This record gives sequence, structure tokens and C-alpha cells, in this order.
Amino acid sequence: MAETRYGMVIDTQHCVGCQTCTVSCKISNEVPGSAHWNHLESLTGDVLYQSTGTFPSPTLAFRPMLCNHCDDPACAKHCPTGAMHKDETTGIVSVDQDVCIGCGYCDWVCPYGAPSMDDVDRVMSKCNFCADRVAKGIEPYCVASCPANARIFGDLNDPTSEAAQLVQSGKGRQYLAEAGTSPCVYYI
Amino acid sequence: MEDCKTCEPEFFMKDGKLTRRTFIKGVGAITVASAIGFGSAETALASKGEAPAGEGEKTVHAVCTVNCTSRCHLQGTVRDGKLIRVEPGDMPGRPGYANACLRSMSYIQRLQDENARVMYPMKRTGERGSGEFERISWDEAIDLIAEKLNAVVAKDPKAASFYSFTGDLGKLSWEAPTRYAACLGATTWDIEGIMGDHGASMGMTMVFGTHRGAHDSRDYLNSNLVICWGRNVADTHTSELRDYVAARKNGAKVIVIDPRQCSMAAMADEWIPINPQTDPALALGMMNWIISNDLHAKDKLVEESVAPYLIREDDGHCLRMIDGRIVDTSEIAGAENADGSIGTAPAAQGEAGAGANSYVIWDEITGTAVAAPDAAAIKEGAVKPALSGTFTVDGVVCRTAFDHLAESAAEYTPEYTAEICGLTAETVERLAKEYIEAQPAGIRMGQGMQRVYHSYSPFRTVATLAMVAGYIGVPGGGASHAGGTATNKPVAGYTGPVYNYTDWSETGNTANMIRSSLVYQAAVQHDPVPIEFLWIANSNFINMSPDSNYIISEVIPAIDFIVTADPWWTWTAKYSDVVLPACTYWEHWDLIDRSPWAMFNQPAIEPMGESKSDVEIMTLLAQKTGVAQYWDKTDEEWIRQFVGTDHPAWENLDWDRDVVGQGIYGRDDALYDPAIVYADGAGYKTDTGKFEFYTESMLDFDDEVPTWKAPAEDPREGELAAKYPLVYIQYHDRLNVHTQHILNPALEVVQDEPLLQMNPVDAEARGLAHDDIVHVYNDRGEMKIRLFVTEGIIPGTVATQSGWTPDYFIDGCYQNLTHLTLCDAEEAYSMTNSAFYDVLVEVEKA
Repeated sequence: MAETRYGMVIDTQHCVGCQTCTVSCKISNEVPGSAHWNHLESLTGDVLYQSTGTFPSPTLAFRPMLCNHCDDPACAKHCPTGAMHKDETTGIVSVDQDVCIGCGYCDWVCPYGAPSMDDVDRVMSKCNFCADRVAKGIEPYCVASCPANARIFGDLNDPTSEAAQLVQSGKGRQYLAEAGTSPCVYYI
Repeated sequence: MEDCKTCEPEFFMKDGKLTRRTFIKGVGAITVASAIGFGSAETALASKGEAPAGEGEKTVHAVCTVNCTSRCHLQGTVRDGKLIRVEPGDMPGRPGYANACLRSMSYIQRLQDENARVMYPMKRTGERGSGEFERISWDEAIDLIAEKLNAVVAKDPKAASFYSFTGDLGKLSWEAPTRYAACLGATTWDIEGIMGDHGASMGMTMVFGTHRGAHDSRDYLNSNLVICWGRNVADTHTSELRDYVAARKNGAKVIVIDPRQCSMAAMADEWIPINPQTDPALALGMMNWIISNDLHAKDKLVEESVAPYLIREDDGHCLRMIDGRIVDTSEIAGAENADGSIGTAPAAQGEAGAGANSYVIWDEITGTAVAAPDAAAIKEGAVKPALSGTFTVDGVVCRTAFDHLAESAAEYTPEYTAEICGLTAETVERLAKEYIEAQPAGIRMGQGMQRVYHSYSPFRTVATLAMVAGYIGVPGGGASHAGGTATNKPVAGYTGPVYNYTDWSETGNTANMIRSSLVYQAAVQHDPVPIEFLWIANSNFINMSPDSNYIISEVIPAIDFIVTADPWWTWTAKYSDVVLPACTYWEHWDLIDRSPWAMFNQPAIEPMGESKSDVEIMTLLAQKTGVAQYWDKTDEEWIRQFVGTDHPAWENLDWDRDVVGQGIYGRDDALYDPAIVYADGAGYKTDTGKFEFYTESMLDFDDEVPTWKAPAEDPREGELAAKYPLVYIQYHDRLNVHTQHILNPALEVVQDEPLLQMNPVDAEARGLAHDDIVHVYNDRGEMKIRLFVTEGIIPGTVATQSGWTPDYFIDGCYQNLTHLTLCDAEEAYSMTNSAFYDVLVEVEKA
């Protein structure tokens, strides 16, 4: 197991669906074309921003999505070129765009819709947990910009990190764990 | 108050810098936990100096001035002369307040798009509204405008109007056009009324004596219940959201009262869907339940409010006593609204009016009528004012103000309240019970509930509920409006002004300020002034004012010459004769006074095209209109002069390090707003010096105590309701503040067209389905728009976001449907507030 295993816990109870995460990632990482490394889904239904249940007590809730930086990433497993890979020292899954041929297999097999085609350069692009910032000890853009403090980023292998504690306490749960990729993003 | 979990918000700390959120632990690092804003502010790992911008990049600063209510300090990154990134900027001493929303981040895309911007001075060549313009030089533009303006001013300066609203709240941008108007003695238009923000100010002024007043949102850590009443904090005061999240995690229940399940409702414990326009009824129903169950805060009401004040049964006025003698109402002159101030100026600056000692209470100790004592005298037990009862004083029969309030509230039984509000009687009772049992409960009021006819009523009535419950001036309580900081407290032992506005205030003349509710009437009927020349700045007037069809067909044609200075090709710009390119906040110098911070804008990028700041534009025009002597400084020189005082606030200010390098300065005198307002019963700026729920000036309108009045367009009964049965409201959410952010490219992923929200019940009744294109109409206008069916809106009401421009509607625009109907009571008090949410429509499949 890697020494460091970066992960994230997202508090859906306090997410207000603003998509500051989506937009800050897009702008700050200069994600090209129509690609997005974050996206937002309804937590309880099919249509984003549509309340579910029945008036007068419906539910409005959201599931912010990004790369889950899985321990057993389907994208890397199915990548024909090895472009998609997991960094053993950080746990961060990223794509080497110099190697990627833009076949899109990773997008088909990812349970989380994380890889996003860079339609300018015709290669895959994806969330890398803002690896350059993280290397300097600064949180990813989506975390720093969240106005609800709904994203907790940290080393899941460090039992003193808030993220690890939320996971260990059972408050944070994996989404689509049954897909078998051992995701490192958890949801409250 | 036993359950009150007392938490003291951290005070502003001059050196409590925390630059950005980091996650790793160790020497020099912080944990995310402290980013909530409470707890110790440890030193950050990455300070500005330690984390320089990338190679070829430069860190720049601005304050967002587009008028949500946050006014966030932004940190930008410039590469090759282009803004490429926006992040939250530091808020020295209040790290949890640092915020940059998705709008401010994506704004840089639109403001650097030459197709979205007005790039050059443009002169209209086609019909107004055609969008046909030709480029002219600045010299040509100024000459043309000066010629028109000089001719109008020679005849009557008041016939020249300068309409500067809130599109840019920077000191220079916002005030330059009206300051210029003052130089000429021309007309300006008092903000708030036509834009629909003034009901809150009126309601607040009635009861508190001042337009704004809020608990620091961190004070909600002291609350057991927080009610966001018509207030979508998550989208409209985003920088405070973390405090509500922290409060909830701290055990406070969060309730949102709103016709829509807004973003704030997504993080709340409960959403209470209420019929639009009915918030005062709910507050009265809760008040009635509390009073009926004898749970009202009797001591506080007696000490701090006008509750024990005697009201004459003969004319409804307060009983007045001068030198121990009861005097007739007619002997008290000018007791109400003595200074007649409206708009942005505080209604009163003093703690109590000159007539404060003339009011009368019934002292239960002596059994006599005596002059109303202050709170301290009552607390000491020197007098015991009767809260309730009928008394005869010198032959004048009187009842207490509280009895009038209780009588008004008594009508609002849980059943009657429920019927008006679209709730169940059980919900009304439970809410009242939860509210009074919370001890304490805080209310954050929002302008969403006051864009109605009789718009003063919601804030006035909800605040009165908080007083009846005893929550005004209590930690974790309050009925707050706005927020953030705006303190300018005098410094003990020092009386010099913080900012030097002496030259800026010197205009040689004064503006003729008129209530903006009369702007249509002025143009069309020349009453109270004609409008022969109109300068519009910081405003997309047509898009953000009611009844756009009327504006285009009647108001605009009645105005001879229209100039618009704006960064954008707005709807308004297209109906102007000359359009001048204005800078955005990233392109020019400006100042926001937000004590304890001074925040600065400065040119982070070159102005797009030939755009200029409002000061530069007015300075050019001044040279051709005989007032050049008042416009003798550059933007930077003005800002340097403003902060160039020897006030202790600036003791350690270093221009290059702090203004240029940081873009924000935490004042050395470290003044901060108090965590709560009206603590210990002090600070009411009303004439009585008390919380005034009894308003004599409203007697003529049968509204002297809070009541609920039916909307102008009542969905409950009448011909109009039969024809147009749906209430139509607009709202502000994640996508926009007003029209400035429509449609920043990166926001398209959030939403890329205007939508009409409708409950499935209403959709099924009309044979409509989600995603259908629908036709929304009333007698004033129509729009064609996509339908968004959701359980998250109360049946009988439909809604769209405010701020969408006609470009994005399939047909028409939402402002075609709204109306400007003058309200007699509001005109008498100060000015009518546009009732944007008092609109009836029908919807059919297009």
C-alpha cells in the first residue's frame, strides 16, 4: 500500500448544489474545451435541481462527483496504452496525455464518469486532485472554494487526518462500492 | 437562555492572517477545522510570500462589487495580460469569510470577451432597440453628449437626470455619475425603490429606526434554531454560508421559509413552503400563538419596545405629555419622519428622537400616567409600565400599544394563518412552539419576502415577532437584515474622519434627488421633473425594472437623449443613443469601505477596448460642461486621498505592500461590528428610542400595527385571479446576481437557459410536462420559456431566476410580466418598492 493515500469526504448534508467546485476546477485548472473534471448529480433523483419525493416534504440534495482515485482503478486497468495510471506515492490517478490515444475506454468503464474528453486536443483529461497544489500542502481548488466546507481532503492512511477519521467513524461511505474499484472518495 | 451555548465570535485581529486553506499538519500548517472561522487562527502554511504565483504569472486583487451582499475579496492570477483564475482572497482576521463564488470565477471569461463587452464609444444609427450603432471616438462622444447636456442644463438643470444604481458598488464607480450630477444641480434617482430593495429598509426603519442591522452570522453558534426567512443565504450571501453550516453542526436546527425549496433549503433541517406575499400573516399567526399561550417576553416588551405606550382611543395617536400636561396630537409637529430621509441614508442618526420624552405609559406602582422611562429605569423598578389595559388620562381614553398589536394578531388563528399561507394549522402552531421554545432562535430575513405590495410589512412584522418572543438583542437571536460589516464607530479620544472625502464631497452644487419609484412618471408626465437627458450607469435599467414593455413603449420614447455607460451590451444599452464603454472592477481603481477592512480595486488587466472608469468618463465630460474644477484627479489619486488621513486606522498602511500587494487592509484600529445588535435594549434609532411596532404615520392606511394585507394582484379572488391564477415570482440563485453574469461560459454547465419552475399539480392541471416549452402571460406581456417541473415549489406559484436577459428567452422576457404600481402607504412613508413578486400569470403549452 502506498505510504500516502489521498482521498476526500464530501458532506452531502450541507452541499447546496452551487457548483462552485465544478466551476473553480474548470477555470482554475484551465480545463480545455467542454471537458469537466467535476460534475454534480442529484443525490436522490435523475434530474439535477429537481426535488424528489412529494410536496410539501420533498428532498433537494446533491452528489458532487469527481475522480474517486480508486485503489483499483478501472480506467487504468482497461487503458490500452498505460496512459491512465495510479501514482503509488500519493494514490492519485492521472492520465499521461502524451501517451493517451483518446480511445475513451476509461470513460466507458469508470463507474463515476470521471474521465472527460479534452475535445480540443482529442485526448482524455481528468481530475488529478490538483496534484501540484497538494504537493505544496494546499488543498485542491474544489475543496478550498467550497462555500459550505462540504469537502474534506486528506490522507486516508493518516489516522489523524479529518478525512480518515470520518471514514473510520463510518460517517463517510463509498458511492457505488459494488463496482469494485475501491474508491477513495466518500460521502456523508 | 439556559440552553444557550455561548460562543464569542472571534474579534478582528490585525495580525491574524490566514492566507489559504491547507490540509497537512505540521510546523507552520493549519487544519481545515479552523477555516470555519471560530477557534484559533493558526498560521497558514502558504502565505502570499511563500506561495508565489507560477512562472510568468502575477497575483492580483479585487473586491467584487456587483451587489449581492457579500463583497468578497478576490485573488486573481494574470498571465500574459489576461486574468486566468480567481480564488478566494484573504480576509485578515476572519479566515472563514474568504470566498469567491462560481459567478466571480467565471466572470473573468465574460469580461475579457470582446463580443460581450462594449469596446468603444458607440453612437446609435438605427431605431432605438435595433442594436445598430457606429463606433465613434471618445472626443466625438463627449462633444455630442456635452452639446445635448449643456442645452438641457441651460434651460433647467433638473431636466437632466443621472441614474446610477448598484451594478458596481465601488465608491468611485457608484458615486461618480451622481457626484457629477451634483456639480450641475441635476436630478438623481434614489436607489432601492424601483429595484425592489426598499421594503426591507422601510420595515427595518419602522421598528428599529435604521435600514440595516444584523447579527454577525457567527453568532448563530449561539442559536438553537436559525430561521432563514425568505433568505437564500447559500446563493445570495455565499460568504456567510459556512457559519450556518457550523451552526447546524453545533446543534442548531435550520429552517427555511420560502415558496421555493431554494439552495439554502438543501442544507436545512426543514423547508416550510409558504405562499408568496404571505410572510406577515405567518409572523402574526406565530405571534398570536405565543401571546395566546402567555409565552411572550413581557419584561423585554415593556422595557425595550413601545408596548406599554398609551394610544389615544379618539385618534389612534400616541398620548403625548409635555411638562406634565397632556397635549393634543396636533400640538406635536413633525414627530414622524422628521428628517424626511429616504433611500440609502439612515433614517435617523440619534439614539432617540427629540420627542422621546413626550410619550406616556401607565405606571402600575403609582397608578398614574407618566412620561415613558428608558429601559434602565424600568429594570431598576422605579416604574412599572402596564403592558396591557385601558386607562383614562385627563379624560382621554387610552389603550396600550401592545393591546393593539395583540388585537391585530388575534385574528391570525392557526387555521386562518394556514389558509392564507398555504400551510396546515399544525405547522403554524408547531413553528410558533419551536420558535419560542428554542431560547434562543435567530431569524435571518431576506429581501425575497419584501418584493410585494405593502413591502414594509414583511420585515416589520417578522422583526416584531422576534421582539414579542424576546429575541431582539439576545445572543443567538435577532431579526437580522443584511450583515457583513459596516461599522464606523468613533474612536475614543480621536475625532478625525477615517476617510478623507472632503474634496470628493465638494461639488459646488447639490443634486436634486428624487425617489426612483417616480422615474416612469417623470419621463412620461414630466412630474415631478421632466427627463430630457438621461445618463444611465451601473444599471441595466430596462432588465431590472418592472414592466419592460411599458418602459420601451412609453418611458424611453419620452426621453430625448439617453447615454448608457456600461461594460456590457445590455438591453438598456441597446435603447440608448450613445453607449460608452465602462470598466469592470478588475480594470480600474476603486474602494470599498467595509470596516474593519478597506478593500481596493486596481487595474489588474488593461481595460478592454477603449473602456474607461466612471470617474474618467465624468472627468472628460466635466471638461466640456463647466465643472472641470471638481474633477482634477485620477482614480488612483482619489483613492490615495481617501485613505491619506492621519486617522489611527491607517497607522501602518503601506501603499505598495498593502493596497497593491494585498488588495485589502485590516484597519489598525481594528474596529469590528458587534456580534449582535440592540444588546441591552440599546441602539434603537427610532423617535421613541424603543422598538416601534406601533407606527403613527401608518394610521391613515389602517396599518399602525403590523397586519397582513392582500397583494395588489390577489390570487385568492376576483376577475384577475380567474384569468391569471398563478402567482409569478423571481429569485436569485447560484447562476446570477442580476444581469452581469448572464451567461458566463463556465456557468453553462450549471444552467444554460431560463426555466419556469412549476409544481406537478399545476403542470398536470394544464396538461404540461417537464421540459415542455410554455407560454407565460398576463395583460402586460408574455414570455416563452422551458418548463421545469419540481416538487420543490409551492402549488399555485411559478418562478424563474431574476437577471436573465431577453437574449436567452425563446420569446419575450420575464420583466414584461411585472408591474410598477405606486402604493399610497409607501409613497407616504418614503417610496414605493417594486412588487416584482406580486404578479399573476397563466401558463399554457406553447
